[in-house]
Amino acid sequence: MECSFGLVGKGYTLIASDTNSARSIVKMKNDEDKIKVLTPHLCMAYSGEAGDTVQFAEYVERNLRLHQIRHYTELRPPSSAAWIRRVLADSLRSRKPYQVNLLLGGYDTSDDTPHLYWIDYLGTMAKVPFAAHGYGAYFALSTLDRYHDPTADLEQGLETLKRCIEEVQKRLIVGLPKWNVKIIDQDGVRELEI
Amino acid sequence: MSPSAQAPIRHDFNPYTENGGTILAIAGADFAVIAGDTRQSEGYNIQTRYAPKVFRLTDKAVLAVNGFAADGNMFVKKVKQRLEWYRHAHAKDMPLHAIARLIQTMLYAKRFFPYYVYNILGGIEEDGTGAVYSFDPVGSYEREACRAAGAAQSLVQPFLDNQIYFKNQQAAPGSPHPAHLPLNQVLALVTDSFTSATERHIEVGDGLEIYIVLAKGRNSNELESLKGVAEVTTASEAIATGERLFVLRRELKKD
Amino acid sequence: MNSIASRFASTSASAAISRDEEENQVAASMWGSTGGFGNLGQVGIPSFEIPRVPDPTNFLRMHTDDRNDPSCRIKIQHGTTTLAFRFQGGIIVAVDSRATAGSYIASGTVKKVIEINKYLLGTMAGGAADCQYWETYLGIQCRLHELRNRERISVAAASKYLSNLVYGYKGMGLSMGTMIAGWDKTGPALFYVDSDGQRLKGDLFSVGSGSTFAYGVLDAGYRWDLSEEEAQELGRRAIYAAGHRDAFSGNTVNLYHVKEDGWKFIGNYDVTTLHYEGPGNVPGAVPGGYGYDVRTEGLHSRGAATVA
Repeated sequence: MECSFGLVGKGYTLIASDTNSARSIVKMKNDEDKIKVLTPHLCMAYSGEAGDTVQFAEYVERNLRLHQIRHYTELRPPSSAAWIRRVLADSLRSRKPYQVNLLLGGYDTSDDTPHLYWIDYLGTMAKVPFAAHGYGAYFALSTLDRYHDPTADLEQGLETLKRCIEEVQKRLIVGLPKWNVKIIDQDGVRELEI
Repeated sequence: MSPSAQAPIRHDFNPYTENGGTILAIAGADFAVIAGDTRQSEGYNIQTRYAPKVFRLTDKAVLAVNGFAADGNMFVKKVKQRLEWYRHAHAKDMPLHAIARLIQTMLYAKRFFPYYVYNILGGIEEDGTGAVYSFDPVGSYEREACRAAGAAQSLVQPFLDNQIYFKNQQAAPGSPHPAHLPLNQVLALVTDSFTSATERHIEVGDGLEIYIVLAKGRNSNELESLKGVAEVTTASEAIATGERLFVLRRELKKD
Repeated sequence: MNSIASRFASTSASAAISRDEEENQVAASMWGSTGGFGNLGQVGIPSFEIPRVPDPTNFLRMHTDDRNDPSCRIKIQHGTTTLAFRFQGGIIVAVDSRATAGSYIASGTVKKVIEINKYLLGTMAGGAADCQYWETYLGIQCRLHELRNRERISVAAASKYLSNLVYGYKGMGLSMGTMIAGWDKTGPALFYVDSDGQRLKGDLFSVGSGSTFAYGVLDAGYRWDLSEEEAQELGRRAIYAAGHRDAFSGNTVNLYHVKEDGWKFIGNYDVTTLHYEGPGNVPGAVPGGYGYDVRTEGLHSRGAATVA
């Protein structure tokens, strides 16, 4: 019942994820951060098979860090997304694939563009203005179709994100009370309160 | 249709069977008793009336194995081999608690292709106390005072719980339950367990082998007077100074 | 003549023979003065024999998974209640002691708290052998870390070692749900690690078939500023509750308390005794049994409502 959203606005990308960690019918934790900061201007929300998620996220985190150390520069969002997608695609064709779905939000400082990528465990990748994973997609995509504005300032963008979260909390039978929101803009990554 | 066009025939690989029988071990204050019946069966067929399930490992350690006989025999063979290597390397017998840990690692080494065997290890600990260790097929183990395993486990264990641990028994005022029973009482409980199991379980019967391990210096008078007892201590100097091992054989009903 | 060809043709008879020889071969460390203990310090993990079938995982499941097939031969025990929580005075770890194989109670005296070392405890839920073996193995690695680095391993590192280790066997049939509790430089620390590879840091966990019942009591009574006596009583009552409501849990409660100077065993309590008489004269305990009937004896709801 995991759920995550992402959207881009004027000069920023927003990523939101629920904070639940469940096993069977038991909620084991309600403050788990499921958005990993990969580079100073890149974030990744992950969900999927227990165990695979964190292992995969840490693998990506370390490889992008290695890139930064080797080249004295962070990998830009489109290249990062392409590499991450390729790792998943190769994994899918291995003996034991990672079953992880991702939202990748970044900000390219070289041309001042926010980026959002929707990636699933099959290695499908789409560059999108807004995105959702999990059951939230069934509720929030129509909301986003109706309200998303690529030129929205941060206040308006957060307003739209809140609409999505409120819709899920109102209509999805499973309650997702706490959410973790991160913004990526020219200043880097910050956590936001909603 | 040519044979090659047919779909390949799949055979399920099933290397396991169940050979019945029951084993049991009880630890006393300064002795241990390890017993098993000798019937080996598969389904409703009795394969043999004498297939030992209890084995001497050292003069102070005895292993009982139950479940799939072929796996059991192989496992005992490998444990004995490892104990012999230990003797060559250290010029002494492996202590009981170490044998228990060895058995754990040997069983767990086949975690993904298990030995279908339930093990009970009995003997004398380095501090001179009687001990029983029981194992599951993949190596989880625990030290206990008594344990039954095998076909009649569910018949024998509750009886032992009642008679050894005094479960659901109220002690008479002023005379609390003893922590350990004397040897003659333990032997009586063991024979009663097996005769009763033979009465009510089709896979139990034919013969009974009871191994008795006595701690260093414990007198063996009670045993000498019993019919059908044989001493099987191997080290000749041990008879005077070390642990002593006896085996007691009894007949069980053969129908 | 065709020795090279036969070396690569795995179906040839000679290859089959050499394969068998290979199987029976034992590592050199098993021999001589090391007597089988010579490889402890070596890097890497022990090797396991795998059945030569197309799908070894399915083979294992066929013969051992009693939830799929109750008539399967090798019954691996399931059913447990374990809990641990962090509070002002350290960490409380409490577990039951029942082991079941199908509906048979295989043991009522299982030690489900594994004493990894003086400062680390692990709990056992799922496969008993998996937990016992790997947590003992973890203990060895923790000691080696200590010897190599002149410093005790952190709870975070120890739990991550275990989590990475079992993640390597994901999908092969290991079954463990464990909590690693201990005290390190950062103070009391608690992690949940399972055989899916999940690893969570937290203040309060319960694992096993009776965990929902334990949570019911635990969540209601938990506060960070619990006194040590109150915390121990909460752990006891939560395991009792699970032992009472979950058929796969019960027999006795084992209670541990982790403090700065390492863990301490508090006691073993019979669930039936707790039901009728309570834990006895124990600090923090309210006199009387935990059982509902015992607790509410003589009370009734007859009569008109009283206004507060």
